[in-house]
Parts: sequence; C-alpha cells; structure tokens
Amino acid sequence: MSENKNVLIEFRHVDKEFDKPEEGMYKVVGDLNIQVRENEFLVLFGPGQCGKSTILNMIAGFEMPTAGEIICDGKAVDRPGPERGMVFQNTALFPWLTVMGNVEYGPKMQGVKKEERRRRAQKYIDLVGLQGFENSFPVKLSGGMQQRVGIARAYCNEPLVMLLDEPFGHLDAQTRYLMQDELTRIWQAEKRTVIFVTNNIEEAVYLADRILVLRNCPTGVKAEYEINLPRPRNYTDPEFLRLRREIDAVVDHTL
Amino acid sequence: MRAYEKNKRLILGAVGIFIFLCIWYAATKLTSLGKVMPDPVTVFGGFFHAFIQPIGTRTMTMHILISLRRMLIPYVFGGFFGVLVGVLMGWYKAADAIFMPYIQMLRPIPPIAWIPLSIIWFGFDEGSKYFLIFLACFFTIALTTYNGVHSVDETLVRASKMLGANDRQLFLTIVLPTTVPYIFSGLQVALGSAWATIVAAEMIRSSEGVGWLIVRGQDVGNMTQIMIGIVAIALTGLLITTLMRVLESKLCAWTVRGK
Repeated sequence: MSENKNVLIEFRHVDKEFDKPEEGMYKVVGDLNIQVRENEFLVLFGPGQCGKSTILNMIAGFEMPTAGEIICDGKAVDRPGPERGMVFQNTALFPWLTVMGNVEYGPKMQGVKKEERRRRAQKYIDLVGLQGFENSFPVKLSGGMQQRVGIARAYCNEPLVMLLDEPFGHLDAQTRYLMQDELTRIWQAEKRTVIFVTNNIEEAVYLADRILVLRNCPTGVKAEYEINLPRPRNYTDPEFLRLRREIDAVVDHTL
Repeated sequence: MRAYEKNKRLILGAVGIFIFLCIWYAATKLTSLGKVMPDPVTVFGGFFHAFIQPIGTRTMTMHILISLRRMLIPYVFGGFFGVLVGVLMGWYKAADAIFMPYIQMLRPIPPIAWIPLSIIWFGFDEGSKYFLIFLACFFTIALTTYNGVHSVDETLVRASKMLGANDRQLFLTIVLPTTVPYIFSGLQVALGSAWATIVAAEMIRSSEGVGWLIVRGQDVGNMTQIMIGIVAIALTGLLITTLMRVLESKLCAWTVRGK
C-alpha cells in the first residue's frame, strides 16, 4: 500500500461500531487504512460476517464510520451518490420497472433527456448481453440475467467506482463461473475502479488485480496480494492453484 | 379431457353450485324447511322477473343501479381520503402519532352503530347513507396504504439513493409503486365492506335499492322478497369484485405476471 499516485478512495483510520441491543457496542471495523487505486480491480476477501459488506456500505454512503473518514475523489463521503455505483447481492432491481426502466433509472433521476439516457442505457444493456430483453420485467429473468441488469444499471450512471457486494453469491456454480467471465469482459471493455466483496477464494483469485485478505471482527487488512496472472485466467493453472493455497493458509477460518 | 383440465376450477364451481341448488330445492320440498324458506326456483324466478315487473316503484336494474351509485360515491371519497391519510401516516412520523389512535379507536365500531348519529348529522336523505359507507371503507384503505408505505424494501431505497434520487424522486419512484398493490388490496376489501353496508345504509328511510328490498320484505313479511334482495346483493357483489380483480391484474402487472 505504498503506492500513492492515482489513489481514488482512501480509508483514514476508520472505525465502525454497531449498537447491539444485548451486547452493547460491537466493533466491526477497527482502524482500517486502505487505498484504492484508479481503475484497479480490488477484491475484499474474508470469512463470512467479518465486516466486508460494512466496508462497502461505508464507501457507498449507506453507513457512516464511527471514527475516521473515507475520501473518494478528494471529497469526504457523507451520503450515497451516483459517482459510487453499487451492485447488490440480492440484485435490488425495481420490480415494477422493465429492464430498460431499471437501467435508465439513474440518468433519469439526474434529469438526463429521454433520448440521451435511452441511448446510454441501450449501450450498457448491450454490453451485459441483454439485448432483446429491454421490455421484460425482472421477475421474468433468471438469477444470472437479473444480476446483469444490476451491473448495467450501476454502469449506466458512469460512476467512478463500482461496488459489488457478493453479487454472484446467490447463483448456482455454473452461472457463477459464467458471470465471472462476463464481469471480466465487461470490466476490460469499460474500465472502472471496481471493489468486489466475496467469501469465495477461487472467485477472488480469478477476478482480482489485488486482493485484501480481511480478518475477523473487528476487521482490518490481514494480508495483501497482487495477482499478476494474465486474463482470461485458468482455474487449474499451477500458479493460480499456488496462490489459492497460499491465501487459503492466511485467512481466518470460522464455522 | 384437456378442456376439463383447463377449466377445472370453473367446472367444479358450477357443479358445486348446481348440487347446492338441488339440495336447497329438495330440502324445501321434502322437509319442514319449506315453511320458513322459499325454494330456489321461486327466488331466482322472482329475481329475474323483477327485471321486467317492478318491486315497489322500480325494476331490479334500477334497484341495483341506485344502490351501486349510493355505494360508489362515498367509496371514491373513502378511497381518496384513505390513501391520502395512509400515505401521510406512513411517510410522516408526526401524522402517524396524531391520526393512528383515532383510526384504531374508530375502526372497530360497526357502521350500523353510527345510524342514529348519522341521521342527526346528515338527515334522512343520501347524506347519512354516504356517511355510513364512507366509514365502511375509509379505515381499511387508510390502514392498508399505511402498511404499504411501511413495507418499502430498504435495499430498494438504498439502490434509489445510490442512483442519485432525491427525497421527492424516492417517494414517487419507490414508495408509491411499492404501495400500489397494497392500495389495491385495500380497495378490494373495502369494496366488499362498502357493498355489504348497503343494507344498513338503506335501513335509513329509503324507497328503493337492494337493501330496501330486504328491509321492506321484513316489514311486510315477504320472505321471497328478502331472498331476492340477498341474491341481488350477492350477484352484484360477485360482479364488482371480479371487475376489480381484472382491473388490478392490468394495473399491477409486475406483481401478477410473476405468479
């Protein structure tokens, strides 16, 4: 984390505590210092319930740090905003809107003219491979297709950073592999800073430029790995497997 | 056979009604039930005959239309104010604190209990009838709307804010659409109770309407007319709730289509 140029997001001594009714204050994040570089694919990897999603929610502005601050593009984060796009684990698509309606929602809220936002939405619908489904309602789509809509919707606001919170966690294994390939392809076509949260080590090594391994609560960075394997990656490549074993040995295993 | 599979529900329903009518007919002819209840042929015959031959001063068509009008005017008002108050209570905590106790207190009072007061306040004419029916639907619609506003999915709110919506846009694009199916189920239930209250409303002096058929039948001891009134309320009720359901499936396609 010594590299200082082109830092897009920075955590400065961030603490996060939740007030649990029975246990009192519960510290989820303790003195976290992270720097996220522009256009890198950063994976936050850690055991379940370790506070990964809380970190993402703080960048998104859904939750505020108890102490310290988060700087995004030179400004302290104090609320949600369109420059930080989120893809939710449960998709969070608007069920009463069609695919087109969901994808163009962001530009529409910001008053982009209909013709312009339709053109933009169409571009991202095409990018995620959903052409022909513009007028379908989300309930009609499979889980993988729904998450493609979620990705297109976040992309359509042309955010500085994409936050993905275990986006493929609910998908079956086959679809998950497919979506990992698709996400790599989309990211290579439309470079953005991506912060991707997962508890799946294979997914982490497959996608990341850099992996931050997080420890159990209160969470912080336990180890950091640069993944320099060429894309598309191969799950059975010896170097891939070696990295996988190495990271697996570091992570806190919990039941 | 395939036609049967497709229309199974309809066919079974029709067979069920036919069997019920047969039992009703047999019971009135073969047992002493006949002394206190007319048989179905007399009732339905009388019902359809009333479309040509007036009961009182009106034909059946007019009785039904007059009652429908009596119900629909206060129903529209009840719907409008119910949704308004429900949204206000759901969105503003202060409105919730102020209105909720009244709604919880007044809702359990049956419309019929308001008859004496409504006559004093609104007289014997249409006003008091409207008032009763308004009460029958207002509370239901207000409460279901309120529940709808409260059922908004927090992650959809987050998604909306993340995409750049302000508070007004959040309300219009997330809270209202979430609430619409709730409003519809409230309107559906309220339509049933408003129609069911028509008898109580027409107990206040009236000279026409399906409720009047029953009240008048009781006054003169005409059992058949009472039954005709019940049939008229039942069939009209079935018709309007079915129409409402069709309307709902058209307007809330996103919830219905998935099923």
